[in-house]
Amino acid sequence: MKKEKVQVKICVGTACFVQGGSDLLLYNDFVDPAVIAQCEIEGCSCLEACKVNGEGAPYVTINGEVHAKVTQEEFARLLSEAVKNA
Amino acid sequence: MNNIFIDVDYHQIYKHGQKIGGDVFLLSRNPDSNQIVCTLSDGLGSGVKANVLASLTAHMAHKLSFSPISLSHSAEIIMNTLPVCKERKISYSTFTIADIHYQENMSGINVRLVEYDNPLSLRFSGSGKISWQREKNELQRKNAFKKEIVQYSSFNMEIGERLIMFSDGVAQAGLGKSLPLGWRNSGVEAFVSDLIEKEPDISSRELSAAIVQKANSLDGMASKDDITAVVVYIRRPRKTVIVTGPPFSKESDEILGEKIRAFDGRKIVSGGTTALIVSRLFNKKISVDLSCWAPDVPPASKMDGIDLVTEGMLTLSQVANVLEKRIPVASLPNTPVKKFVEILLDSDQIHFIVGTKINEAHQDPNIPVEIGIRRTIVGRLRAALENIYLKETSQEYL
Repeated sequence: MKKEKVQVKICVGTACFVQGGSDLLLYNDFVDPAVIAQCEIEGCSCLEACKVNGEGAPYVTINGEVHAKVTQEEFARLLSEAVKNA
Repeated sequence: MNNIFIDVDYHQIYKHGQKIGGDVFLLSRNPDSNQIVCTLSDGLGSGVKANVLASLTAHMAHKLSFSPISLSHSAEIIMNTLPVCKERKISYSTFTIADIHYQENMSGINVRLVEYDNPLSLRFSGSGKISWQREKNELQRKNAFKKEIVQYSSFNMEIGERLIMFSDGVAQAGLGKSLPLGWRNSGVEAFVSDLIEKEPDISSRELSAAIVQKANSLDGMASKDDITAVVVYIRRPRKTVIVTGPPFSKESDEILGEKIRAFDGRKIVSGGTTALIVSRLFNKKISVDLSCWAPDVPPASKMDGIDLVTEGMLTLSQVANVLEKRIPVASLPNTPVKKFVEILLDSDQIHFIVGTKINEAHQDPNIPVEIGIRRTIVGRLRAALENIYLKETSQEYL
């Protein structure tokens, strides 16, 4: 059976973009290509997470779950975990 | 804003090897008196002498056109002031003046045309040629070997019509080389008609450039004379609306949607939250295009029915920088800023709908770059568009 891909959204709204979101868009440089192949990564003009809990930009959702203050290392770790659990 | 736009532009190259030309074109728009005056003058010979004479003629014609003196009287004054060449016994420079008047709402566009010794102007409605009556006036000047003929005409121009004026460098292109008698008016006419047939909406800038380039190629890419072409084109204005910022209250979202839907022209949405609102209202999906961004410009998105969707403040301030510094579009990297500027420069009237809700996420003191105030940036954009690029702009707050 074919595995469902992990749905990933990176916020590229102004506040997220300037506080690290632009680094996450370079995911090809720091995430394992095998992991990327299992994910469907897309940008999102605003996840509207900043207005709800305000934990800190940049925001990323993985299979619908919101993560705040995501760094490059954190992003790589979250993705490989999500792929493993899928 | 008006629903009719008078698009005037010209293109010019000098005689091969010359750094200064004997063709002079002047254009003034005087919105206070609803008047546009175009003057094309060609000084005898080429180089500095011709330039001085043509400038003199063009400026005289120009100033007189804005004065209450009648055109025929102005033409006489210019003719009597123009020196007559000792050897050749002809006057030193020629001119064509198009004095365009229009009503407050841009209707009833009337052109008064004075032509003296330049090749006769052409008129087109779509790609079809228009012929019209000219009144000939003879003028005998001292020392001149023949009577001078100044031709006057007056006509109305409708939407889709063009008036094309050019110097003898165009009509005589290819003389003795590719064409025994040069390109001549009939050749120019056929070329322009063909071109309009192929590209019915061709702008004045592109059409005048095409005429000049063709003339230059007939001269074997080494122009024998200064080549100048002027195009006046009456058309519908190209409009663009820029929506930036969410409306102050949620109730206004629907009004915003209605305004965007009703707008006839190109549409740009600038701002992440604004894009979400528009996508909700229109029930259209936004997809972010991750292939086109830079470290200082977030990626653009695609949405059906909207020509360009970008991030807000960072993109807008970059656009304002590009406009203010007059950076050529072709030299910009392929980012949303380039697409944004291209659309702006290709528009005549630009309307801003500015949402006034404060974005809390922008108030975070930890943000490493300075995010400007939306109103200030829109103000900068409007000033640059109006003062540098002569666009009409307007704005409203929501």
